[in-house]
Amino acid sequence: MFLALRELKHAKLRYFMIGMILVLISWLVFLLSGLGNGLSSLSAATFKNMDADFVVFEDGSRHSMLRSVISEVLVADLKNLEHVEDAAPMGTRTAVVMKENAASDDEKIDVSFLGINPGTFLEPKVIEGQGLSKGKDHEVIANVTLKDQGVQLGDTLEIEGTTETIKVVGFVENESFNHLPAIFMTLDLWRDIQFAAPGSDMGIKNPVNAIMLQGENIVPEDVDKSVEGIETATKKEAINGLPGYKEENGTIMMMLAFLMAISAVVITVFFYVITLQKSNQFGVMKAIGASNSFLGRAVVSQVFILAVISIGVGIALTYGTAAVLPEGMPFSLDPKLIVVYAIVLLVVSVLSSLFSVRKITKIDPLIAIGRVE
Amino acid sequence: MQGIQFENVSKIYKQGNSTFTALNNVSITVEPGEFVAIIGPSGSGKSTFLSIAGALLQPSKGNVTINGINLSELKPKELSKLRLEQIGFILQTSNLIPYLTVLDQLLVVKKMQGSITKEDKLFAKELLEEVGLGEKLNKFPDQLSGGERQRTAIARAFMNDPNIILADEPTASLDSQRAFEIVELISKGVKSRNKAAIMVTHDERLLKYCDKVYQMLDGNLTLMEEPLAVR
Repeated sequence: MFLALRELKHAKLRYFMIGMILVLISWLVFLLSGLGNGLSSLSAATFKNMDADFVVFEDGSRHSMLRSVISEVLVADLKNLEHVEDAAPMGTRTAVVMKENAASDDEKIDVSFLGINPGTFLEPKVIEGQGLSKGKDHEVIANVTLKDQGVQLGDTLEIEGTTETIKVVGFVENESFNHLPAIFMTLDLWRDIQFAAPGSDMGIKNPVNAIMLQGENIVPEDVDKSVEGIETATKKEAINGLPGYKEENGTIMMMLAFLMAISAVVITVFFYVITLQKSNQFGVMKAIGASNSFLGRAVVSQVFILAVISIGVGIALTYGTAAVLPEGMPFSLDPKLIVVYAIVLLVVSVLSSLFSVRKITKIDPLIAIGRVE
Repeated sequence: MQGIQFENVSKIYKQGNSTFTALNNVSITVEPGEFVAIIGPSGSGKSTFLSIAGALLQPSKGNVTINGINLSELKPKELSKLRLEQIGFILQTSNLIPYLTVLDQLLVVKKMQGSITKEDKLFAKELLEEVGLGEKLNKFPDQLSGGERQRTAIARAFMNDPNIILADEPTASLDSQRAFEIVELISKGVKSRNKAAIMVTHDERLLKYCDKVYQMLDGNLTLMEEPLAVR
């Protein structure tokens, strides 16, 4: 620390520049992590919020709601299985809704319909208004972001392509599915819309897309064996089965990995070059009697100090950016993730400096003798 | 035994098939309080001699003893520790660390040994006073003149309270007036603190400050009897 701090103070411009690079990289890392987080919750928030552990799909659907149709009748069978604490069916579809008597087509709203049974564990808590109730099939609860489109409590919405109308009786928070705001409705209404065409239910009685299971100790293979024609996936697998989810996350993760690699290379090269430049200085200090660990510690602590400050500034900038980003941006910062990435960046930086430490151990103190500057 | 002893020390470099003898059977003893000069043309083996004396290079043959410790028995780590505790280097150009103040140049030596105490700080200031830098404690090397830098280097060499002082052409980059001052300072320090000191130089005007003068020629070291010192 003795050498590290003094040199940082003395060569401010030099270290300020490398610090800036680190700040920019960490800023970008945190922004990307926020974006990734925002996108993934936009894509799967409803799924993630659900208090379920496993999802039962139709056999061969490869964990996709879109490809899966099974009968609600199975719920009773599944509930009787070992380790299954509760089971609830659900159905999904995307739809376009419009406020009743809307003046122009510009006011159409894309949404995700989620059909559930009122009172099951799948029904989210409303933050305003009231929940779903059995028998009142045309009452729905919607994600609160619909308010931005002018939908108010008690409004009636038309559904494109059908003659059905729905009435918004409650609002929920942070519920979106397939990148669209979610509207929760009863399974009966959902079925009327989804399987409006005769025969489109393929003869399945009370069709649903999937049945969510509660019970941490469920063995998916056992469930598959006990009921014919189904496949069971963990919630995580089911989320990965959402269209575009894996790809979106993969892209962001790849960018993050590249950023980490870039920061590692930048730091390695910068400090390596500086170490080469200072070979003579290190040689002189070694001649005086400095040990390798003394000089190595100086470099590592220098990188550590620089990285901590830069990452700190990066975090501050990220929160600053988040504050001015427009509302609709899929951006949400997860403090846990920020901490994780900050630690990863720090570790990468410090590891990169070890290259220079290796170089230092190889410098021969003999270069100090018989040399003119 | 205090001071530094060379016993029949040789250094032979292999260059392909031929060998090159940089030091040939050199023996010398320098006792505490003694200031010895070694002169000789370039390529005569002075630097090799100094590198071996400074525990930076192992001899091919013979023994070097510093303060009773035989260097050939030490591992690299122990050599580094020995340099830190027993040897004070004054190098050709001062070789100060550019980002440390004059005071820190001295304190870093203590830092290498562990931690800096209050006494260390007082001692460093005292040394710097002695070389006339009491007013410049917080200056950086690039704010000092060549002579002042070399004075700092002298003070640094005494900082670890070593047994021997090794000076490698300490006046190489100075005009004669400054060169005399520098060597006088080294001489004063060596006497008052009772160190064994060896100075390698090619500047014969400086020899009057030294107790003994040896000449190095093609790897052979010979004592010069009442030589140029009178001049």
